[in-house]
Amino acid sequence: MISDLRTGGAPAEIEGEVCVVGTGPAGMTIALELARKGRRVVLLEGGGDAYEDDTQDLYRGEVVGHRNIDVANSRLRQFGGTSGHWTGLCAPLDALDFEPREGLGGFGWPIRRADLDPFYARAQGYLDLGPYRYDWEDWRRIVPLPALPLDPSRVITDVFQQSPPTRFAEKYHGAVEAEPRIDCWLHANLTDVRLAEGSNAVSSLSVSTLEGHVATVRAKTFVLACGGIENARILLNARAQRPAGIGNEHGLVGRYYTDHMTIEATTVLLADSVDARLYSESQIYDGAELQFGLRLTPELTKRERLTTNSAFLVPQHANEIYSTDYRNHGWIAFSSMVKAFSRGHMPDRLAEHYCDAVDDLGSVATGVFRQVARRVAPPEAAHVFKLRQDAEQAPNPDSRVYLIDAKDRFGQNRIALDWRVSADDLLRLRRTHELIGQAIGAAGLGRVQLGIAETPDLDMAFSGYHHMGTTRMHSDPRRGVVDANCRVHSVENLYIGGSSVFTTGGCANPTLTIVALAIRLAERLAATA
Amino acid sequence: MAAVTRRLLLGSVGLAVLGGAAYGASRVVCRFVPRNHPDFFSLLELAPDGEASRRVGEALLSQSDMSLDLPRLASSLAGRPFTRAAMGETCPTSRAALVKDQCALDFAEGRIVMVDGWLLSETEAALCAGRLLCGATA
Repeated sequence: MISDLRTGGAPAEIEGEVCVVGTGPAGMTIALELARKGRRVVLLEGGGDAYEDDTQDLYRGEVVGHRNIDVANSRLRQFGGTSGHWTGLCAPLDALDFEPREGLGGFGWPIRRADLDPFYARAQGYLDLGPYRYDWEDWRRIVPLPALPLDPSRVITDVFQQSPPTRFAEKYHGAVEAEPRIDCWLHANLTDVRLAEGSNAVSSLSVSTLEGHVATVRAKTFVLACGGIENARILLNARAQRPAGIGNEHGLVGRYYTDHMTIEATTVLLADSVDARLYSESQIYDGAELQFGLRLTPELTKRERLTTNSAFLVPQHANEIYSTDYRNHGWIAFSSMVKAFSRGHMPDRLAEHYCDAVDDLGSVATGVFRQVARRVAPPEAAHVFKLRQDAEQAPNPDSRVYLIDAKDRFGQNRIALDWRVSADDLLRLRRTHELIGQAIGAAGLGRVQLGIAETPDLDMAFSGYHHMGTTRMHSDPRRGVVDANCRVHSVENLYIGGSSVFTTGGCANPTLTIVALAIRLAERLAATA
Repeated sequence: MAAVTRRLLLGSVGLAVLGGAAYGASRVVCRFVPRNHPDFFSLLELAPDGEASRRVGEALLSQSDMSLDLPRLASSLAGRPFTRAAMGETCPTSRAALVKDQCALDFAEGRIVMVDGWLLSETEAALCAGRLLCGATA
């Protein structure tokens, strides 16, 4: 059931067994899973069904560190959350991502990949993906294109799956609406987290609309699932009973912010005889749209003390019909509408998309022409590629989200994002490219020109808009905000969902892991709450 | 000036005959002495004669700790298994294939030089340097 706190007659008291804040991939998944297990869930969303300027303005903040990022437009404060502009690439974190790393501080989750595997498998369905298979060995008999014959002890072919992408608002609105055990409230902005007097348990949440309707939400258990920036902001703003903020006894809330460094650099020149089609275009087999990249083996990554990276080969064509320089907001809006219509339903945010497409009609026309031309013209095999990646950073406590003096309409402090990108992060990526180049040369396939200098240009790194790490998971309360079960160490009944609990970022896009962790958390809450 | 006597003339002819005989005998005997004279210069034809090749050669020569000259380069290439075989190979296609194998082995064993960001095998860079040095000495 979905209600709107702005409507007349909205109650001043709302109650359930579990209260979940946030309707993005984490919050929505937790709510649906709990409801299926018979739990009564209060699901709170600060925004409405669609984009609203005044609601989105609550996300405004400052960028004070690395500039190639933003804090407002990269998120969506509305039903379905940021899945509304997710691009859909998925992979699980590697087993190595969970392990401590010699010579690199801050690595090591309190759980292992095997702990998440059953939940990853279930998460596939939530995101409209194919079977839970991410090992090239699982696909090589099905996909008829060859992998590059590189030394398998050094460089391997990495597998990603492409979600349509799933828009949680579009796909799950009906399920939430029809679910009697979910009591979903729109425009319910969280303004305070209250602890029971003399205890370390949350007793209630205060929520409010922008128009001033206030309600109190009571439950046995509470889950914050508002994203990597907002989860930290909520905890830091809850200072009425904990001056440093809830869960911030060790000053860790907001710290260890990490993101993926989106970088397109380094040229790969392959011999004419080399077949690299596997890597240059997505492949659809067995119900899955697959994309393939190159990555170092975990053993080599560990030995070289590198962070993880998976590099995609982006073809560089001489013929401009293969250029993608028409891809701007207009084209993306246009293609979203076309995809939705082709699936037989109305696109979400139709008016916005339509207007974006109209504003960029030139790019849309260019894009349509080139898409058609590619199908008519004889295919051109590329032999020159750039490496594109969402590369991992090493955990850094100085990379952080913190409160600033500016306040939003609820009197909540806004945040500053001080994202740090270090020369060491880029030098590790450079070394990764060097090792890939060495493997390509050793296989006699071609040559590689490094695109990252020995004194790296930090401006080459752009945010992947994957906000992670601000309430990181660690078994030691002095090193992490939540425990292995995603519970805030210092609060008995407060849990965190989403990528803010990631101890490290890996190089997989985070949504699949967010949903897997959400299912795992829901299992635990259903069993204990 | 002393007069050319018959004795002097016969002595000179005798020396010339003896020298010729020694040389001829040496040539015959040396045919049976195993020697390694790799054809370093035939490999240089594999390095393209262009601006890129010249820059690679210059980069290697400037990066090298010791001053590289043709004998040192030849000796270095003769010390690598596939280039040593290539020097004795008369078929150009087989020679190129052997050099390619040596380049791959260089990469596998980490013998890599970097020029303008390009990762190149030491062998291909040495060939470019050799071609450059040949041009300079020609």
